[in-house]
Amino acid sequence: MTQIEFHDVSFVHQNGARALDGVSLSIEKDELVGVVGENGAGKTTLVRHINGLLKPATGDVRVGGVDTRDVSVAQLARSVGIAFQNPDHQLFSESVEREITFALRNFGFEESLIEKRLTWALQFFGLEPYRKSSPLILSGGEKKRLTMASILAWDPEIVVLDEPTVGQDALQKEKLVEIIKELHSSGKTIIVVSHDVEFLWSIQPRVLVMRQGRILDDGACSRVMLERDLLEGARVSQPQLVTIYNELRRKPERPFLDVLEARSWVTSGVRP
Amino acid sequence: MYWLASGLLYRRVISPFHKLDPRVKLLISMEFFVLALVVSSVVAVSLIIVAIISVAAFARSLKRVGRTLVFSMVFAALILVFNLAFGLGVLKAVTFALRFIAIIGSTSIFFVTTSPDELEQIMKWMKIPRDIVFAFVTAVRFIPVVMLDAFQIMDAQKSRGLELERGGLFTRVRNLVPVLVPLVVNSVIRSGELAEAMESRGYGSTPRPTSLYGMALRWYDWLVLIVSFGLFVLALYIYHSYGLAY
Repeated sequence: MTQIEFHDVSFVHQNGARALDGVSLSIEKDELVGVVGENGAGKTTLVRHINGLLKPATGDVRVGGVDTRDVSVAQLARSVGIAFQNPDHQLFSESVEREITFALRNFGFEESLIEKRLTWALQFFGLEPYRKSSPLILSGGEKKRLTMASILAWDPEIVVLDEPTVGQDALQKEKLVEIIKELHSSGKTIIVVSHDVEFLWSIQPRVLVMRQGRILDDGACSRVMLERDLLEGARVSQPQLVTIYNELRRKPERPFLDVLEARSWVTSGVRP
Repeated sequence: MYWLASGLLYRRVISPFHKLDPRVKLLISMEFFVLALVVSSVVAVSLIIVAIISVAAFARSLKRVGRTLVFSMVFAALILVFNLAFGLGVLKAVTFALRFIAIIGSTSIFFVTTSPDELEQIMKWMKIPRDIVFAFVTAVRFIPVVMLDAFQIMDAQKSRGLELERGGLFTRVRNLVPVLVPLVVNSVIRSGELAEAMESRGYGSTPRPTSLYGMALRWYDWLVLIVSFGLFVLALYIYHSYGLAY
């Protein structure tokens, strides 16, 4: 079942910059989608159209069959949760628990359900010890997890994560991979905007490659990430595993001596 | 909101007015300001507003100054209503309302056409202490950045179901808390980081730092300065000699 549809969508910012240029796209329910591209490629503009924060200049965006022009952001937000890139742009409450329940109160959830969802979110994101703490004293990674917890607490059907790995250490990234896989298996539609190709490779989404407001390619991660020329054109690097795999495939008779040699190849493209 | 705020923000435009020495632009702005305060007839203040609009058009900044004038009309309407309510008379009430618009227009024309760098030069030329100049100019320079922050925070909170445009006055004010708290916190954090970055790059290490740019009055600056001051004196003379009943 198609859940999100973009029909020939274009969008121009107030400064005249064309951020989306004739984008057509459909995302099925339960799909896991990754969006990659250089800075200014239109990734964030694309996802801001999904909950109606931005309305298309031309074309139309439909979420669950509803034109985003016909409903308010608050109405769409009930089914579309966006965790923004910078957590400092949304944290304001005096405690972590109030931050998580903020949206639930906006949406008019009952107190018993709010308590249930709060407990789930705190446990799911490992924030239980900070329940009564101020969000402002948390570390960057904890703040990021709190923003995701505050979105997932109201159980939106569509979850958009904008650069979720920024400020996260290796362990947190691994946890994030598990969280996304778990959410995906629970039937949510997940869209991840990221520059972190290693992270995307580990969750293996359908990948959209964007450049200058257009979608250059759209397909399975295992195929798109092998398209070296395409990714170079979009200024996206290939996952290291793919680079090493390609080199090994090119010269199967001469395997790498050690990991440093492999790393040298990945970083410089020159095999010692 | 962006539409309104940009009415007071500098934008690089190629126009003869923008090329003027910032001190000349300040003088023109002050002349309008003083005239708006001195004259007290509907016709005279209206003429000043027309002159401001003409200068804005000449500076190719009519849209931006126009926004400020349109917004100031809201407050001008309030001034009109209050003055009428206190029995000041229609003509005087209208004059006060128009005077407010003229004052806002005269300052808008300066800020819209003067870059933060030029503002810094003027303040240094006025021998204002360097730290005060730096603080003021940085505040002006950061207005667009803080505005961008505010929009992003509003987007983030709207995405969590906050409806800023709904409810009565009290509800609307209360709904601003989730926007204002992150905005203030971010600004405080940014100012601390900026201070550390400035000190790391030697700010304050010498009492008399050199300046990359300087100001020099060119022939057309002198010409505009003399003509504008002449018109200013002439306007004052005509107003006081002949007066304007309305």
